[in-house]
Formats: sequence, C-alpha cells, structure tokens
Amino acid sequence: MIEIILSYLNQDIVIQKIVLIGSMSLLLIGLFGLLTQRHIIKVFMSVAIMESSLFLFFIGSTFNKNFTAPILGDGHVDFIHMNDPIPHAMILTAIVIGMAVLALGISFAIEYFKLTSITDIDRMNEMKN
Amino acid sequence: MSSILFIALPLLFAFCVPLLEKLGRNGVAYASTLMQIFLAALAFSFFGLEHPQLEIIAIAPPLGISFVLDQASVFFVALFSSLMTLFSLYYLWQRKIKSYKNEAKFFILLNTLLASAVGLVLSNDIFNIYVFFEIAGISAYILTAYEKNAKALEAGIKYLLTGSVASIFLVLAIMLIYINIGSLNLALIAQNFETLPYNLKVLISLLLFLGFGFKVEIFPLNFWVSDVYEGSSTLINGLFSAIVVKAYLFVFFHILYLLLPSGEFSHFLIYLGALSMLVSQIVALKQTNLKRLFAYSSLGQVGLLFAAFSMHDSDAIMGAFFIVFAHSIAKMILFLSLSNIEEHYKSVDISILQKINAPYLGFIMLIAMLSILGIPLLAGFVGKFLILKSMALDGLFGAMAIILIASLLESVYYFKLSGYLTQKEERGTLLSLDLVQKILLSFLALLLVTAGTAPFLVLDFAAHAANVMLDAQSYIALILGAVQ
Amino acid sequence: MNLKRKLALSDISGFALASVLVLTIFNVILQNSLLTQNSAGNALLALSSHEGVANAVTTVVVYFRGFDTLGEIAVLFIASLGIGLILENPHAKQGKKEESNFMLKTAAKLLFPIILLFGIYIMVYGHLSPGGGFQGGVIIASGVLLLLISSNNFHMPHKLIAILETFAGISYVFIGLIGLLLLDTFLGNFLPHDISQMGMLFSGGIIPIIYIIVGIKVGSEMSFIVQNLLQRGEHD
Repeated sequence: MIEIILSYLNQDIVIQKIVLIGSMSLLLIGLFGLLTQRHIIKVFMSVAIMESSLFLFFIGSTFNKNFTAPILGDGHVDFIHMNDPIPHAMILTAIVIGMAVLALGISFAIEYFKLTSITDIDRMNEMKN
Repeated sequence: MSSILFIALPLLFAFCVPLLEKLGRNGVAYASTLMQIFLAALAFSFFGLEHPQLEIIAIAPPLGISFVLDQASVFFVALFSSLMTLFSLYYLWQRKIKSYKNEAKFFILLNTLLASAVGLVLSNDIFNIYVFFEIAGISAYILTAYEKNAKALEAGIKYLLTGSVASIFLVLAIMLIYINIGSLNLALIAQNFETLPYNLKVLISLLLFLGFGFKVEIFPLNFWVSDVYEGSSTLINGLFSAIVVKAYLFVFFHILYLLLPSGEFSHFLIYLGALSMLVSQIVALKQTNLKRLFAYSSLGQVGLLFAAFSMHDSDAIMGAFFIVFAHSIAKMILFLSLSNIEEHYKSVDISILQKINAPYLGFIMLIAMLSILGIPLLAGFVGKFLILKSMALDGLFGAMAIILIASLLESVYYFKLSGYLTQKEERGTLLSLDLVQKILLSFLALLLVTAGTAPFLVLDFAAHAANVMLDAQSYIALILGAVQ
Repeated sequence: MNLKRKLALSDISGFALASVLVLTIFNVILQNSLLTQNSAGNALLALSSHEGVANAVTTVVVYFRGFDTLGEIAVLFIASLGIGLILENPHAKQGKKEESNFMLKTAAKLLFPIILLFGIYIMVYGHLSPGGGFQGGVIIASGVLLLLISSNNFHMPHKLIAILETFAGISYVFIGLIGLLLLDTFLGNFLPHDISQMGMLFSGGIIPIIYIIVGIKVGSEMSFIVQNLLQRGEHD
C-alpha cells in the first residue's frame, strides 16, 4: 500500500503539483498577512513569506527528479542529464536582494519607532492627506 | 568607448569611497562630479551613432546579458547623465549653505542611482532589469529617508513597502516567463511570447503591469508618491521626478513594445494614463504644500507620458520624448529653486511664493512652470501639441478631451503660482544665488526655450528615436543576429 | 464586541481578496505545462565545460550571469551603507547588558575559528562543490554574530573589515574592466581556464577569484549589517 502511494508520489508531475500547491498556499498566507496585518514587522514578515513562496515555486517547477545537481563529480563527467542551473543562480540573486531590502526596511522601522513609538502602519500619518 | 562604463565607473566610484575620503572633505565630491562630467561627455559622444551598438557582457546573447545602445536609449542615457551632472554641480555650491550629513554616502547613492537608471534603459535581459530595478529602488529608499526625521522615515517605509510588493510581482512574472519560454533575453522572449496560451499571456502582462506600475506611478498604484515627495528632502525630489520615474517609464514601454507589438491593451493603457493625469490634477488643485503640489503635477505629466507612449504611434512617441525632456528639466529647475527657497525662508507653503524676494529665481521658475503647462515657444508645448495631434488623427477624442480638461486644471494652479511670483507685494529678505547656480539654472531654462522655439533642430533626431523605440523587429534582429 | 466584529470582517475580506488573487495565479499555472526542454539553462550547461569549472551553478552565477552578481553585490553594499546611516547614533551611550554565561562565552571562542575556517572552505571550493562566495560569506557573518551576542566587550575590527571590503569591491570591477580591455567583453575570462584542469583547486580562470572576492564582500557587509542591527537593541 505504502509502496503504491510512494511510487505515485515519486512522479515528476506529482512532485511539481505538490510544490505548486504548497508554494501557492504560502503565497496566500503572505498575501493575507500583507492585507490584514497592521504591525510593521508583521507586514515585513508577510513580504518575506511571499518572496520565499516564489523561490520555492520556481525551484520546484524547474526540478526534474531524474537529473542530478549541475555539478561534476561522483561519477558525472559530462554536463548532461543535469538540472537547469539558471533558476539556482536567479534565486541566489533574488534571495540576497530580498534580504538586503528587508534588513533596510527593518532598520527604518526601528529608527521610526524610536522617534515616534508607532508600530502600526495605519497610524503612520505624519504627512497630511 | 564602451557603454558598460556607465555602470562600471559609478560602481567603481562607490566602492572606492573609503579611499577617496582620505583626500579630505572635498575629495569625494569632486571625484564624483568629475566622473559624472566624463559620463555625460561619453553619452553625448554616442549621439553620432549610425548603427545601434551591442555590448556583450561575458558571453554573447541570447544566452548572456548584453547592452543595446540605440537612438532611443542614447537619448535617455544622455538626459540622465547630464541632469545628474548638473545636479551634482548645483549641489557643490549648495552645500556651502547646507550640506547633508555623511556626504560621502550621499554621493555614493547619487552614483548608484545614475548607474541603475542607465542600466534599466540599456539592459536587454529581463532578470538583469530586475537587478537594476532593485538597485534603483534601494538607493531611492535610502535617499528618501536620508534626513532621518519621522517624516522622512515614514516616507521611506512606505516607499520600501510598495517597492517590495512591486518586486514580488515582477519576480513572479520573470519566473513564469522563464518557465514557459526558457529564456531571459528580451529578444527571445519577444519572439516567443506570441506562442504562449492566452491566459498565461494575460497573467504575465498583468504581473508585469503591477510590478512596473507601482514604479511608473500610474493611477491606482501611485498612492504613495506624494508622501514620498513630501517626506524626502527637496533636492532629492528633483532626482525622483527627473530621472527615476523616466527610467522606469522607458523600460516599461520598451518591454511593452517588444512583448505586445500589436498593442492589445493599448486603449486601456491610453485611458488609464489620461485618467491618471486627470485625477492627479484634480488632487493637485487643493494642495497647499509646494512639494506635494509639484509631486501631483509630476504624476499628471507621467500620466500624459503614459498615454502618449501607449499609443504605439511614432508621432506620439516623438511628442512623449519632448515631454520627457521638457518635464525632466522643468522639474529639476523647480525643485532646485525650491530647495533654495526652503533653505532661506524655512517654508514650502504655497504662500511663500508671494513673499520671496528673488527676481531672477522667480523668472526661471516661471519659465519652467509655463513649459510644463505647454505654453507656446517652450519645449512642453511641442510635446503636448504632437501628442494631441496624433490623438486627433487616431480618433481618440475621449482621451483627448480628458487630457485637455486636465491641462486646464493644471493651468489653474500654475497660473495661481505664477501670479504669486509676479505679484507686487511686500517681499521678505533678499535671496541671493551663487553665480554658478544662476548659470546652471539659466542653462536649463535656455534649453527649454531653445527646444521650444526651434524644435526643428531636434525633430529629426526625435522622429528617428521614436521609430527605433517602436521597432521591435530590428531590435530582435540586432540581438539574435549577433549569434551568427 | 463591535471592534471584534469589525476586525473579523476586515480579516475575512482580506482573506477573500488574497485567495481570489492566488487562485487565479494557481489556476493559470496549473493549466499550462511547466517544463520547457530547450531552455537557456541547458544551452549554458553545454557551454559550461569550456570554462573548466566543475560546478555549473558557479559558472552561471559568476561568469555567464556575472553582471547580475555585480549588481547584487551593489545592492548589498548600498543596503549595508543605508543601515549604517539610519541606525548610526553618536549620542547613544553604551548600555549595560547582562554578562552572558561562561559556557556560551567559551563555546563561542572555541567555535569561531572553526566557523571561520568552514566559511573560507565553502568560499574557496565554490567552483568545485556546492557552495560559494555568498554561502561562505554568510557563514562567516554568522560566526561574527555568535561572537557579538556572546561577549560584551567584543569589538569588530572595523578598519580591517572596511579595508577588505573596499579591496574586494574595487578588484571586482577592475577584473571586469581588464576583461573589457583584453577580450572586449566586460567580465571576460582572461585567465587560462583549461578543461584538463577541471576539478583542480586552481582552475576556471577568473571564476574562483571572483567568487572569493564576492565571499569577502558578502561576509564583511553581512557582519556590518548584523552588528548595526544588534547594537541598537542593546541601547534601548
């Protein structure tokens, strides 16, 4: 029984669907947080969750289980039957950029809190409308 | 000379700053300005270009990243680098009165902003465009919050949040493009975009629109703009209005022309642009803070540009180039002068224009305002005229009416401001400008007048640039032809 | 009661909006097949062997898409600069913090050299095995974080780190410009990169050098960011 389930799960298409469903649920959580949470740190967290969900989605949907990681060694002497390296490179870049922006945002929030003791983004109305 | 220097030199400068700081207080400032002068000269040296220039980075396209310098992008590169140079020169004298804390960091941010604006315009790889999108964003967030008071930080937080949300949409769009087309090169994407299923095409276009829409400040997505302008310092507003928005606008329409060459959503975008203009001008009417007022005026002009670029018509794009030129220069003048006024009279309220005692500054500001309004003999008029003419030829009378009403509203408050400037009232203490600042401002104003009185001098170039920008096929051929 | 109801309403509407958006995206993605066979990645894999680097991801990150990496370094540099600018406060007095316990202090001292070594290993072998400059740099920064939280009187060697960082940034751009001079392409691989050397430590031309530079840069920027964010907490 377990073997049947496992062999069903061990298909490319199923793995991709699972990753897709999982990452879209994460995206939903992040978007929900972005729309409903008012605490500034929670808003930043929602943004970070959304970013991670996209990275998961991208890696998952370009993944092929029959191929290896794109690194030579362990008997692999040619760059064939390997997973696509571009998504890895893109995500590496996007993670670092996302982290940098997030850290900057948190430093803004810290300094703003020190000046005004406000953490609620609805109460951030220093400027007149 | 290679167009890669526009990115490499500012970044090299940014990394070198700890060494340059050893040269004393002025070392960084002078080095930065000298480098910008060199870049501006380099940009102008590309104007004689016969054929578009392809600059390969590491490996040849479509696999690698490359830069395309054609007639359209050279216009933007020259505009950005020369405006940034003028800004730096102006600041060199301005800082005798008031300088930023940690000036070295300020110069780093100016240069990274310039590098990213040029990179956005030149790059032909969509993920590389995302990287420049983020460099421009992050430099702009820090410049917004530079003063570190509550207002500036709040504006910075708002800017950063909208920017991160925008980048999420953009990243998702890029990922979907890569998964379904298998390339990041704009030319290859443009070639294969047609073959995608319809719903995927719509989703990707929508995500790209959301991603860039926040940054090009189009109507429903521009709620943050006025706060950012009010919170950040006045000098920096000039950069946002003259350089940052224009770079995003160019790259948005560059991608649009490549992906949707037949203009599927063109009507929607035209009316969105016109509506954006109308709404901003209505809101601008009741503003009492000059910075907010100019911010809404910028939004209005961006709406006009958006409508003009969306028309897929080379005459309208030609007009849009004129507006880009005229609006960047005029807003640069207005914000630079406003920073002087703010420094001297400690107020940016609208009534301060009645009290300022600076005939020369008032005169230059008047020219800039009238150019934005589109008064004949000034550069803004040529642009507006060309756009409205091609709208009439295309039978877009609805959009034309909206734009005319919006221009009327615009003239209400700009005439009010010009009235304030020219009224004979009791004036405050005399605001005297440095001679160099006067020369710089008059040079900018002279450009507006020259382009307005003798548009035929630049008309040929503008027409050619508009055709180049619209011509997706030769762009694709240029990049993919390099393979053979 | 009233407030509670209002909150619930906004939550529900937020959830509805979010789920509509996500379901739309989900639906469109589900309807379209996800794998393309002839992607740029496969073409790059075929090209990878010419560069003589065993790790194809490294070749892509540092060489084929090396310009993105330069931009990414710039983003990190600007972010670190901005965080320093925003959080710097010359008037803040050094707050007194509870002395951390003996175990933590000793363990941190013992572990730091190992973490540093591991980070450098990951960095230097980035072209041969999984890992590379970013990962190594972040590991080193985590070691610095451990020292910072364990000890009150640990001061980061600011001068040394600033020198390393400046050196790394400048040499990255210079390597790119040398490539422009010699090979006419920015970031061109101008050093010998023979395929027969593949798998050796000294192979791949400029690729391992750039990745080490990236590692130094990332490590120092991340250390600055961590230190800035941490020290603010102490003063409040």
